Amino acid sequence: MKNTVHELRTQLGLSQAELANEMGVSRQTINSIETGRYLPSLPLALSLARYFDESVEEIFDVD
Amino acid sequence: MSTDRTTTRRASRWRWGTPVLAVAIGVAYLVAGLLGGDVAFAVFGLVLMLSLAIGMLLLRRSSETVAGLLDRRDERINGFDVTATAFAGGVVLLVVIVAFVVDIARGNNGSPYAALGAIGGVSYVAAMIYLRARR
Repeated sequence: MKNTVHELRTQLGLSQAELANEMGVSRQTINSIETGRYLPSLPLALSLARYFDESVEEIFDVD
Repeated sequence: MSTDRTTTRRASRWRWGTPVLAVAIGVAYLVAGLLGGDVAFAVFGLVLMLSLAIGMLLLRRSSETVAGLLDRRDERINGFDVTATAFAGGVVLLVVIVAFVVDIARGNNGSPYAALGAIGGVSYVAAMIYLRARR
């Protein structure tokens, strides 16, 4: 599943560690989400969507 | 803001949970060793578990995985923990079953492996029933 977390994060000038801190997860988890190795839970996906002011569907795409 | 404080308090409580448990196990080893007259085991057990607790707290600063395991805030690390725990439990159950079969083949009664296997099996079924009812 592809996502735009990396693009959205860099647009805001945030580091992975800063976004991780905002989301209450580790930097490794943000990195794994960005590279598509880890699919976040629904609560985390919603938190990311709210943080970036986007919908979950806009951030995460099935292919 | 209060949610942040609550989350921080919960994470802080979790952070100390594993080291405190390790120390408690070390104290149990100490008491058991002293009661059983094995002072070397008592001291070694306590030192080992204290070292584990201290090691975890020190590694927390340099390892995000250890930090995640201690404060339980990271869902990905928590997922690893659940999978690793299930894997370890599966390995232990497999060893218990093999040991039980070998013990029976040797003409013994399979003790204590039969009881250990039964505890594992009953725990699994109980957990499934509980989870099925809750989710």
